[in-house]
Amino acid sequence: MWDEVEQALNQSMTRMLSQIASLLPGILALMTALLVSAVVAWALSAILRRSLTRFDFDRRVAQGGFPALAEWSPSSSPTILVTRAIAAIVMFIGFLIGISAFDGTLPSQFVIRLFAYLPNVMAAIVVLVVGSIGARFLARSVLIGAVNMNLQYARLLSVGAKWLVTVLAVTIAIEQLGIGGGIIRLAFGILFGGIVLALALAVGLGSKELVSRSLERETSKASASNMREPVGHL
Amino acid sequence: MELDAISQPELEQLERIANADLAIGILDGVCQAEGSNALAVTREALMELSQPRAPLRVMVVCNNGTHGPTSPESEVPGDNHTTPAVSFCSLPLPGPGETPQQTISNVYRRVFAVGGKLGVRACAVIASRPQTVTRGWIHRLVHPVVDLGFDLVTPCYTRNKMEGLLNRSILSPLHRALYGQQVQNPMGPDFGLSGKLLQQVLGQDPVRRRVERNALALLASAAACGGFQVCESHLGVRTQRPTDWENLSSLLAEILGSTFLEMEERAVHWQSIRGSKPLPGFGLPDAPSPDASTVDVHGMIESFQLGTQNLQDIWSLVLPPTTLLELRRLARLPQDQFRLPDPLWVRIVYDFALGHRLRTISRDHLLRSLTPLYLGWIASYSLEMQTAGLAEVDSRTERLSKAYEDNKSYLVSRWRWPDRFNP
Repeated sequence: MWDEVEQALNQSMTRMLSQIASLLPGILALMTALLVSAVVAWALSAILRRSLTRFDFDRRVAQGGFPALAEWSPSSSPTILVTRAIAAIVMFIGFLIGISAFDGTLPSQFVIRLFAYLPNVMAAIVVLVVGSIGARFLARSVLIGAVNMNLQYARLLSVGAKWLVTVLAVTIAIEQLGIGGGIIRLAFGILFGGIVLALALAVGLGSKELVSRSLERETSKASASNMREPVGHL
Repeated sequence: MELDAISQPELEQLERIANADLAIGILDGVCQAEGSNALAVTREALMELSQPRAPLRVMVVCNNGTHGPTSPESEVPGDNHTTPAVSFCSLPLPGPGETPQQTISNVYRRVFAVGGKLGVRACAVIASRPQTVTRGWIHRLVHPVVDLGFDLVTPCYTRNKMEGLLNRSILSPLHRALYGQQVQNPMGPDFGLSGKLLQQVLGQDPVRRRVERNALALLASAAACGGFQVCESHLGVRTQRPTDWENLSSLLAEILGSTFLEMEERAVHWQSIRGSKPLPGFGLPDAPSPDASTVDVHGMIESFQLGTQNLQDIWSLVLPPTTLLELRRLARLPQDQFRLPDPLWVRIVYDFALGHRLRTISRDHLLRSLTPLYLGWIASYSLEMQTAGLAEVDSRTERLSKAYEDNKSYLVSRWRWPDRFNP
C-alpha cells in the first residue's frame, strides 16, 4: 500500500514540476516582454517629452482653450500627462504580448472584451472633456456677469455653476463606464441637490441687495424722469 | 453690405430711379422734432448747398413714421434749380432684441446699399436722437463733402464733462494713436461721406465684411487708411440716451469688439504711424450748458474693487503681472485718493486689444471683464474733474490722448511679439 502511495505522490510531484517547468518559459517571456516594453516606453516618452517641450506644448494647450488639461495633469504639465499616457499604452501592449506567451486564447478574449468596452470609454472621455469645457465656460460667464452686477458672492455662484456641470458630467461618464450603479445615482442626487440648495440660498440671501438696488433705481428714475442723465458713454 | 439689405420690390424701384446725387439716412423721425416730414426737412437743408445746373436728386432713407416694406417713392421734382428732387425709401423695422448700436448699424447698411445702387456722390446718416437734430445737422454733414471735396465728415458734439466717456476714455484717443487723426467721435454716430469712400467701403473683400456687424466702426479707420480727406463738423448738443447700467458690459463688448476687430484688420497700416494731426473743422462749437450734476462714484469704485478681487484669474490671461499689481494697489486706496493713472489705463486697453486679437479667452468674456476697469476709470476721472471747468476737461482729455500716443510703442511691441515682450 505504501508503495502505491509513494507512486501516487511521485506522479503528482512530477506532474506539478513539469507543469511549473512548462510555465517557466511563459513567465520568462512575460518578464522579457515587460522589460522590453518598459525600455521602449521610457525611450518613446523621453523623445516625446523633448519634442513637446521644444514645441512649447504646455503653453499652446493653455492658449488653445484647454487650460483644464493642465489642472488635471501631474505637475500641472500636459506634456507629462501625454508622455505618461503613451508610456502606459506601450507597457499595456507589452503586457498583452507577454500574456499571449502563456495561452494564445487568453489575450484574444481579453482584447475582444476590451474592444467591446472601448465605445463606453470613448463616450465617457468625450462627456468629461465637453463637461469640463462647458463647466469652465459657464463658470466664467457667471463670474463676469455677477461681478458686473456688483454681486458680492460672485465667486460662490461661479464655483457652484462649475461644480453643477462637473458633477453632472462625471456622473454621466461613470454611468457610461458601468461602474457603481445605484450608489452613483444616489450620490449624484445628493451632491446635485446640495449644490442647487447652496446656490439657491446664496442667490436668495444675496439678491436682497440686488432687489433693493433695483427698487432704488426705479424710484430715482421715477422722481427724476426729467433730469438729464449725468453720465453718458457714447 | 450691399444689395442684401434691400428687398426685391425696393430694388426694382431703385432700378427705375436709376441714380441720385445724395442719399440721406435718418434713423428716427427728425420730422416729429421739427413738426414736418423728413423729406421737407432734407429739402430745406439742402437748399443752402451751392447749386449745380440741375437740381440735386436726393434719396431719403427714413421711417417717416412708417417702417416697413413700402417701396421707394418720388416726390414731385424741384420746380427750379434750387429745389432738390427728393425720393423716399423706407427703413426696416428694428428686430426684436436689437440693441441701439445694431439698429444704427442696420441704418448705415441700408443707406450704403441704397447709395451704392444709385451711385450717389455723397451720403449722410443722422442716427442721433430726434430731440436735438436740426436741419442744420444735415447741411453740416453734407456741405463739406458736396462743396469742399471732403470724403468723411465726422461729428463734434457739445458735451458736458461726464458725457461721451467711452469716447473720451478709449475710442477717440485710441483712434488718434492708431491712425494719427484727432477725431473726437470716430464712431459717430452721425456721418457724412463721399461716394468715393462709400464705394471703398462697399467694395471691401468678403473677409473684411465680418466687421459689418457694426458699420460705424469701419468708416473713420477706412478713411484714415485709404488716404481720404477727413474733417469734423460741429453739430451742437446731442441728447444722450439714458445710461443702461445693467447692460453696460454688453455695450462695451459690442463697441469695443468692433473697434478691436477693425484694429486687427488694419494692423499693417497703423503700426507705422507715429504722432497725430488735428483735422479741419466746420461750424462753431457751442458752449455746453452749466453742468451741476454730480456722479456717485462710490458704486463704481466698489465695482472696481469687486472686479479686482474676483477677476484676477481672467485678467491675468491678458494683463502682465505689473499691471495686476498696480490694480491691486489701487483697489486698496481710500475713495478720495482713488486715481487710475493714464499710462496704466492705456496699457490695459492695449493689452485687452491684444488679448482680443490672440483669442486668449472667449472674446465676449474678455470684453465684458473690462467693465469694472472702465468703471474704475470713470470714477477716477469723475473725482479728478469734480470742480473742473471746460478748459481743464479739454486738457485732461488731451493728456490722456498723449498717453495713448506715448505708449503706442508698447502696443506695437506686444502686437508683434506677444510672447517675447511681456513686461
